[in-house]
Amino acid sequence: MKHLIKKSLVTSAVSVLALSGSIAYGAGMDVPMIKVTPVLEGLESPWDMNVRADGTMFYTEKCKGLSMRSPDGTVTNIYGMNGSSGYASAGADLFCEGQAGMMGVAADRHFDQNRRLYVASTSNKYHGSGCKTNFERCDGNIVMRLTLSEDLKSVVDRTDIITDIQYKPFESNQPFGGPGAHNGGRLRVGPGGYLWVAGGDRHRGVCPQSPTLLCGKVLRVDTDGNAHPDNNPPEGFDKRIYTYGHRNVQGIDFRPSDGKAFTAEHGPWHSDEITALVNGGNGGWDPQQNTAGRGECPDEYCGYMPEQMDGMDPAVRASFMPMSDTRFDDLMHPTWNNNGWSQGTSSAAFLKGENWGIYEGRLATGVLGIGFGGTPIGQRIDMVSITPDGLGINGITRMPLGFSKRFRGLVMAPDNSLYVAVDEGEIYQVTATSMQ
Amino acid sequence: MLKYTGPLTLAVILGLSNSAFAGDPVAGEKRFHESCHACHGPAGKGASSYPKVSGNSIEYTRDKLKAYREGQKFGPNSSLMIMMAKPLSDEEIENLSAYLKDAKYKQ
Repeated sequence: MKHLIKKSLVTSAVSVLALSGSIAYGAGMDVPMIKVTPVLEGLESPWDMNVRADGTMFYTEKCKGLSMRSPDGTVTNIYGMNGSSGYASAGADLFCEGQAGMMGVAADRHFDQNRRLYVASTSNKYHGSGCKTNFERCDGNIVMRLTLSEDLKSVVDRTDIITDIQYKPFESNQPFGGPGAHNGGRLRVGPGGYLWVAGGDRHRGVCPQSPTLLCGKVLRVDTDGNAHPDNNPPEGFDKRIYTYGHRNVQGIDFRPSDGKAFTAEHGPWHSDEITALVNGGNGGWDPQQNTAGRGECPDEYCGYMPEQMDGMDPAVRASFMPMSDTRFDDLMHPTWNNNGWSQGTSSAAFLKGENWGIYEGRLATGVLGIGFGGTPIGQRIDMVSITPDGLGINGITRMPLGFSKRFRGLVMAPDNSLYVAVDEGEIYQVTATSMQ
Repeated sequence: MLKYTGPLTLAVILGLSNSAFAGDPVAGEKRFHESCHACHGPAGKGASSYPKVSGNSIEYTRDKLKAYREGQKFGPNSSLMIMMAKPLSDEEIENLSAYLKDAKYKQ
């Protein structure tokens, strides 16, 4: 009997422990149900989207232009690139080449009243006489402010609010050496309604650390393109610059808990990076030749060195040409560096809403998948849990989508779903449903 | 009897030879996913700034891949293709060419 009582107690204790464990597990781990639904198919390199509260979606296609999908599924082509057909109107100066074309789109915070969209594109309107070679200023990336008609189907006003971001006009002796390289191109409206413009180094060594050239920078401007009054770049820098020393920023978003800006950036065959931006900070990318112990480089750009035409250990490459060079006192240390690999991080968006369960507040980060020199291709969307100080991660979970594609554009919709554009030509809606 | 042996042997050899070098599209698809898919997209339909590579004749794809393997340049991003084509064997090139000829993108 004594033995039976003892056994019973043990069983009960085990049961209680098991139950309490189960309750604790259920209470603390709200793993949401994630579902993927195609929204549009058969597109040509969709690049970015903005989704309105009623489900209207504006989106860009790199070589075609800006379009709108209405809630009933109707598509209207609003503003095309030069040569595009079927658009209400087109910009004769807008063109696409290589990685460049129509890229980011963001809506004014008062869009419902002013119907203003901001769109990043390449343009030949402001080339002037500065695009005769790759080694001079060539202003070819712009930000347009488009005011739409009341039915949202056409553009009634276009004002170019930034006209002097540099563009790469010619081929160079690099692995991805075609014209139009490294434009960044993502736009987002951040706290206070200010516009953030993510840029790229356009394969020019002097760009990222230059105080005056806007290539390789993240800008923070008002809706007329003027510098935010609190921007704090180093003395002598263009006041529109929020951060400098970047390679190719295609992802930017603001942490819901504190409004802090984070970027996602491609690495040079090593070290894709997420970075918590610091006002006036330096991303640490400096591909100039004859700098930091490096000699001359092909076409004055050391960005893919050493042995730029061959695969090699990413760590060795990183030690020669770091993404975040620690010689800079104002370096913004990366939050995450993809374990030293470059697989092509692109867009990024913080997951907002309780429907995301344990993933709420994580940074969804799209990876295009670039696997040179033995690096795994790695096409995926990571959900990155970032530490409160922004200087590290708690962990990463791969978003369970059931497929791998070139994830180019990620943006949250007002209904707390995630919209995803892939280079293959589709836009998806990813919904999360809390299981509690 | 002997006078028929020569042409017959030649025909057999040619037949065998053709058979030996006919690309295997299934093996080509597998190889495509290992090295090409990430840039050129599914079924070689093209993605972003990477061109469409499907729908061309076997001869076209074979000649291009062999030329890249030898280090020839055709455009601004040739360096990438030269690097990717370098390790390809003749058999792999035949397989890729056979696969890409009729590859179709299914979402």
